[in-house]
Amino acid sequence: MKYFFLTLSLFLTVNAFGQKKIELKFFTAGVCNMCEARIETALLDLNGVWTAEWNVKTHETFVVYRPKRISEEQIHQAISNAGHDQICSCEKEKILAPDKIYENIHNCCKYRDPNVIEAHK
Amino acid sequence: MTQERINSLGVFLIFIFPYLLYSQSDTSIYDGLNLDAVEVKTEALGSVISLKDPKLKTIISRAELKKAACCNLSESFETNPSIDVSITDAVTGTKQIQLFGLAGKYAQIQVEMTPLVRGLLANSGLSYIPGAWIHSIQLTKGIGSISNGFESMTGQINVELLKPEDIIDDIVIKNSAKIRVNNYINQGGRIETNLIYGKQISNKWSLGILGHASGRSLIVDNNKDGFADNPIGYQLNGMVRARYFGQNGWEGLFTIHALEDQKIGGQISKNLNFPISSNPWQSRLQQNRFSISSKTGWVNPKNPNQSIGVILHGYRQSMIGNMGSSDDAINQKELSAHQIGGVSQFLFRQDWNKISHTGSIGVFYDNYDINFNAGGYLQGYNRPFVEQNIGISSEWTWTPNEFLTLVAGGRFDWHSIILNSKTRVPFSPRIHARIAPNDKNVFRLVFGEGFRMALPITEEWGRVASNREIRWDQYGSVSGGDQLSLEESTNAGISYTGNFIFNYMPGSITANIHGTWFNEAVIHDYWSNRMRYIYPDLTTSNESEFAMISQSAGISSNYKLDKKTEIRLAYRFQNVVVRNQIHGLDPVSILMPAAFVAKHRALINLSRNFMKSWNLDMTVQFHGKQPIPSTHPRAPGLSGEIISYGQAYNLLNFQIRKNTKNGDFYLGVENALNFQQLNPIDGVVNINGDLLTPSNPTFTENFDATRIWGPIFGRMIYFGLNYKLIN
Repeated sequence: MKYFFLTLSLFLTVNAFGQKKIELKFFTAGVCNMCEARIETALLDLNGVWTAEWNVKTHETFVVYRPKRISEEQIHQAISNAGHDQICSCEKEKILAPDKIYENIHNCCKYRDPNVIEAHK
Repeated sequence: MTQERINSLGVFLIFIFPYLLYSQSDTSIYDGLNLDAVEVKTEALGSVISLKDPKLKTIISRAELKKAACCNLSESFETNPSIDVSITDAVTGTKQIQLFGLAGKYAQIQVEMTPLVRGLLANSGLSYIPGAWIHSIQLTKGIGSISNGFESMTGQINVELLKPEDIIDDIVIKNSAKIRVNNYINQGGRIETNLIYGKQISNKWSLGILGHASGRSLIVDNNKDGFADNPIGYQLNGMVRARYFGQNGWEGLFTIHALEDQKIGGQISKNLNFPISSNPWQSRLQQNRFSISSKTGWVNPKNPNQSIGVILHGYRQSMIGNMGSSDDAINQKELSAHQIGGVSQFLFRQDWNKISHTGSIGVFYDNYDINFNAGGYLQGYNRPFVEQNIGISSEWTWTPNEFLTLVAGGRFDWHSIILNSKTRVPFSPRIHARIAPNDKNVFRLVFGEGFRMALPITEEWGRVASNREIRWDQYGSVSGGDQLSLEESTNAGISYTGNFIFNYMPGSITANIHGTWFNEAVIHDYWSNRMRYIYPDLTTSNESEFAMISQSAGISSNYKLDKKTEIRLAYRFQNVVVRNQIHGLDPVSILMPAAFVAKHRALINLSRNFMKSWNLDMTVQFHGKQPIPSTHPRAPGLSGEIISYGQAYNLLNFQIRKNTKNGDFYLGVENALNFQQLNPIDGVVNINGDLLTPSNPTFTENFDATRIWGPIFGRMIYFGLNYKLIN
């Protein structure tokens, strides 16, 4: 029993604190809590993403990831695939989600439509 | 009551409820409704301590309850560090809970603010709230709110059951119906089915039906002592509830609850190899309840800061049992108890800018008829009695800013038994303070007094299963209902809760120190040799003496190790002492350690989500060594030890759960390390391992089934599933 706990705590410590992590901040377009859930789920489902938050007011995305497991590019790709546009300080500056995916998101979340933005204000 | 008294009461009422004359209010009876908002935000953490509440209140949601296979309310605290779940005794098969090392009866346990685990159901009421019915639990450590009665002495547990709107998931479509089913089976032979039905009838009315059937027919005797490890029997339990949401701020909830429970335990196995002429030791217990309740609330649509609530509740419950063998008539015990009663409560609430007030006027009436006979030596103590009470309370909350909350309240109770015997009206003060230096750290203070009336036999029925002679030590009635059954205590505590973010992950830490001092308590003496004295009033001679003292300090922490893993660590120290008498020529009373209360308790709970839809939960509970009555023939006093200790042990529980679109299923192991208490029942097996009959002198002299401090049944595997039948 004693060794079981020792091993467990050792495993947990190494797992939780032993790796290098990078913080990443960029803007993601979106309007509501449903968007928040969609963006955060898309990010948290990625292996290597430690934590992810999207702020509905500032539209800022905060991601902490482990560079050994995942690249910055893959993170942006995941948000695009979820249907959200991004503005970041990376090469492209503006990453637009494919129109086909954008069309499929819920009507309430159509952040490119000025009327929808107005409705959420 | 004389005219003069009525007048002064009226003046008094107007004095403390100045606006009783022109407006009324309350929302507190529908506290549970506000929970949803809390839960959505913190869905990942199944149990949450709010930083805003002036009381140290943990909200346990369904997500938390799923971490362990909780068949009923008593088992739903297995992953909770504040409440100890004690070990099932072989007779009633009911798990009891402890808060601060004190029995669960000293906490006010309510179902949606109405009493259920009270009176004749104080002993087994916890097992009559099926886990599948529970929506959430609010657990307050330290004395609770004054509005709902005087009985909260160590804390308050309020259980919100599934209401129609919880079942239908707030989709208001006319005629939409939902059925959910929960099934459970375990290695010990327990089978359980719950059926939950909800239907939207019209845009104002919805209906909910909660059904439960469980039973155990398999007689298991793993330790080969002739006694079944668990009693067999069945429980049928059902609730029908109607919900009304009207215009103009009106809402209502109407509930009918009925249950029937039967248990048989003891030497019930068919292959005992006893001579045909001998009658085995058996215990039978039958309980039933029928209750009807209505809760209506009104929020002033023009001024939402005013609300009123009315609770009406009537019930009838009984407890009929016997234990022993007719071969040993002197130690046979019989109980036949009936209770009819009702509660009506009127609550009103008003909020001003920084001050809010909750007032209540409550009346309850209980008519008890308890007949208890123990063999030849304890008879003729029985008489029906009535306990009735009118209570008024007033609670003021002052929130000058976000850093400080002060709650001060008080309550007067015109309690029939106390009024008649002691001609006094007990006043129960309560003070809660919350000091938050910033939005991450909170300090809380609590102080208050409470009381209750004990029913010494019915609420300790499992502890009666021994051949120790029950001796009621003073004038009064062993079945309760006299001035000697009063238990009164003061509770005070200080606690700290802090939220932190470490390594990008949220966590919280809570530390508390609480003390409870009993001026009066009805004490069951576990330390006297071959006797079970019940002392209703040991502190008469010296008013400054305490009958029971509990001191408890704990620290617990929740932390998210990574996005899929949560860990909870907790440790608690508790020291409980109980006044006992040393019998002899010159009897003296001294404080002795409380039996079956471990000084050290710890808990580790780890839960991990993997492959999206799978959950793994692991709980380790550490139980320190517990003082248990010695079986030494001359204990106590003369020679030999009075107290012996049960060894410390760990319980390891595992559970794996798969979530699917239409429900989930789970497979788990309780007590995976297979720890078992050896020889839990004294005097039933001789040195050669042969089973003894109740007429055997060794059995007659030594039989004691109350010295249980550890699991009797070893490792237990269970399987269960929840699914939606109609969506």
